[in-house]
Amino acid sequence: MCEFVIPGAQNTTVLVVGATSSIGRIVVRKLMLRGYTVKALVRNADQEVVEMLPRSVEIVTGDVGDPATLYAAVQGCNKIIYCATARSTISGDLYRVDQRGVYNLTKAFQDYNNKMAQLRAGKSSKSKLTLVKFKTPESVDGWEVRQGTYFQDVVASKYDGGMDAKFEFTFTGDAVFSGYVFTRGGYVELSKKLSLPLGRTLDRYEGLVLSVGGNGRSYILILEAGPSADTSQSKLYFSRFNTKAGFCRVRVPFSSFRPVKPDDPPLDPFLVHTLTLRFEPRRQKAVEGRTGVQQQDPRSFTLILEYIKALPTGQETDFVLVSCTGSGIEPNRREQVLKAKRAGEESLRKSGLGYTIIRPGPLKEEPGGQRALIFDQGNRISQGISCADVADICVKALHDSTARNKSFDVCYEYVADQGKELYELVAHLPDKANNYLTPALSALEKNT
Amino acid sequence: MESVCPVSDRQRESLKMAMAWRLPTQLPTPGNLHHYDSKTLSFPASLSWCRTLAPDHLLPSSSSSTSTATGTHTRRFMKCRARAGAGAVNLAPGTPVRPTSILVVGATGTLGRQIVRRALDEGYDVRCLVRPRPAPADFLRDWGATVVNADLSKPETIPATLVGIHTIIDCATGRPEEPIKKVDWEGKVALIQCAKAMGIQKFVFYSIHNCDQHPEVPLMEIKYCTEKFLQDSGINHVIIRLCGFMQGIIGQYAVPILEEKSVWGTDAPTRIAYMDTQDVARLTFIALRNEKVNGKLLTFAGPRAWTTQEVITLCERFAGQEANITTVPVSVLRVTRQLTRLFEWTNDVADRLAFSEVLSSDTVFSVPMSETYGLLGVDGKDIVTLEKYLQDYFTNILKKLKDIKAQSKQSDIYF
Repeated sequence: MCEFVIPGAQNTTVLVVGATSSIGRIVVRKLMLRGYTVKALVRNADQEVVEMLPRSVEIVTGDVGDPATLYAAVQGCNKIIYCATARSTISGDLYRVDQRGVYNLTKAFQDYNNKMAQLRAGKSSKSKLTLVKFKTPESVDGWEVRQGTYFQDVVASKYDGGMDAKFEFTFTGDAVFSGYVFTRGGYVELSKKLSLPLGRTLDRYEGLVLSVGGNGRSYILILEAGPSADTSQSKLYFSRFNTKAGFCRVRVPFSSFRPVKPDDPPLDPFLVHTLTLRFEPRRQKAVEGRTGVQQQDPRSFTLILEYIKALPTGQETDFVLVSCTGSGIEPNRREQVLKAKRAGEESLRKSGLGYTIIRPGPLKEEPGGQRALIFDQGNRISQGISCADVADICVKALHDSTARNKSFDVCYEYVADQGKELYELVAHLPDKANNYLTPALSALEKNT
Repeated sequence: MESVCPVSDRQRESLKMAMAWRLPTQLPTPGNLHHYDSKTLSFPASLSWCRTLAPDHLLPSSSSSTSTATGTHTRRFMKCRARAGAGAVNLAPGTPVRPTSILVVGATGTLGRQIVRRALDEGYDVRCLVRPRPAPADFLRDWGATVVNADLSKPETIPATLVGIHTIIDCATGRPEEPIKKVDWEGKVALIQCAKAMGIQKFVFYSIHNCDQHPEVPLMEIKYCTEKFLQDSGINHVIIRLCGFMQGIIGQYAVPILEEKSVWGTDAPTRIAYMDTQDVARLTFIALRNEKVNGKLLTFAGPRAWTTQEVITLCERFAGQEANITTVPVSVLRVTRQLTRLFEWTNDVADRLAFSEVLSSDTVFSVPMSETYGLLGVDGKDIVTLEKYLQDYFTNILKKLKDIKAQSKQSDIYF
């Protein structure tokens, strides 16, 4: 009967960051109408700000750029909606709010989750599971370096440069996998049977995150899955990932793994028992290295491994981030803005929290629910959107399992001039009576 | 209590100017409307003050002469001029207001709170005009609306609340215990005049269905006159006539049935097309944004018209409980009204009982909606039916009652 009743709203505390922004203001009101407990993070709680917010909102003073102030903000929170953005396009501001701010908040939130879980003598269901951590010389034990070829090249074998690889713990404290493959169709790989902590299975996780550093090659991650008693029945699944020159964290969702034999069923993370990291000289891109550095031979590689962790799975999104598509920003600053926003998005994806990243078109200050919306991925949208519609998506996404771990663009439906319509668009009209979000998002790619 | 609204000093200055300059200049304008204080007049006479407000009846010289002839105390009302020659112009053409800023008058009422909720949810900045009272309307603030204190019966409190407002939605009605004219007529006139003087860009007014056909009912008469007054004022407006709220059924029939108290029913054949206030709010905002609706008079009615008997039967079915119906013949209601009329101090009660006249005279209180749906681009299937509404209500309430009963079992030891 009542369109504002949301099951679970009573027991949910939402932290709204940027509660005084054009979207945040409406988000706060919408949450209050639906019976959520709302905390608002503001930079200074002066009279003007306090009057702008409903009185039952708990106001926390803090700054996303200052991690120390965030621990009070995340106390008791179940979910976060981040609609803050830098007030200027100065790089320093952008870095502090849009990039570092998101990272700081995800970290504070995860720390809080872990602390709460420890109080209950358990592990947070949102915390990542460390599969391997290369910190000690012993940690490289048990990893097996192998080499092989995809095909036998009779002609070229005469000129075969050979291949070699090693995995060692250096005196600087890094576990380094390095080598070269000059043989055509050759590859080298690093493999180990996984030993999960007692009572842990990978089916409660939805992907892997690797912290690696190196010279920017791409690698193939191979998971061997099957009954661990009989390895002959194991099936192989692979997924390719790219690294950057320098250190980076790579997210590899289980859903991105494809069976080596196309007929095999999709990967069941529960059955995974062996992890393999393979390097092959095929399909290596030239690294966008610093200018002046001599171009390296793409057939050689160095990879410093720091850790491999599993990302937890879940039903709902924990962190809704309002990003942007880049249209509507003044062209000469667009690069910088987008760079900071993308970096912020990236740190959220790697955090292990369930995330929803909304990239609205240019914002308009007008009432929502008037025009049909287009949900899309791939930066193809052209229209604006009202702040109220973005706020509605934020609030709806909190309890929508189809919104978890998705990034999407959203804007108004493009309305062609009379008589110039090319085709009919299938769009979603936002209305409180119908749930437009689920059907709209279920068509979109996950883990984006 | 709190600052009324964010008025900058400059705005305040210009406001003062307006108060000092504009309003007095209008006062001596010829062609003022007159109305007689009905305190000293019997009911049919008070009818005429309303009727003379309609512009077609407006004959300044004759009406003023009658007023002097009868020697009754007259109160002068200025007429908002439709032709803006000497009338009000936009207060501050240089300061545009955001189209999302709206003022809801009567925000604590059944319809008002749904309007506020809907508006907040659609992203409007909502300011609520409420009367200063000891128990403030905290729920409005909790939802994120700004609450300002003003009283329509004290016109001097109105202008400050309108600063920076684009649209006024007026869903106020006087409380049963206070004189009907105070808020519903004088207050509304003051509000409309003020809105005109301050350049409010849209005014939504809720009226009652068929109010033009029942001048004998004071509330309907006042609503009709206010409609006319608003139309003449020249403000962009939408007038919405309503038939009945489903929310009213709860207190009148559903709760008494659940509490096994007697239900007051009438044998009147009247049918009312009840409508959910949430639907009213939804349609209102669609109408508000639709430029085609500007200046129109819309009537919102529910999908089906129901008699009192049918409603009670429906409640009984969902509650699984028989109702003790005390049927009051319409004639009795009429007699009661005659009796109460004898006592002057119960004039308002008599006025409200006059509604029973409507009940007996009108058979169907409804209107076909297909045209309105078409105009607004709404699907009629989305409008909540009374069956659905009551079913949801009873399902919820019976579930809650069950929970309470389960809890109360534990406290049985105290008995």
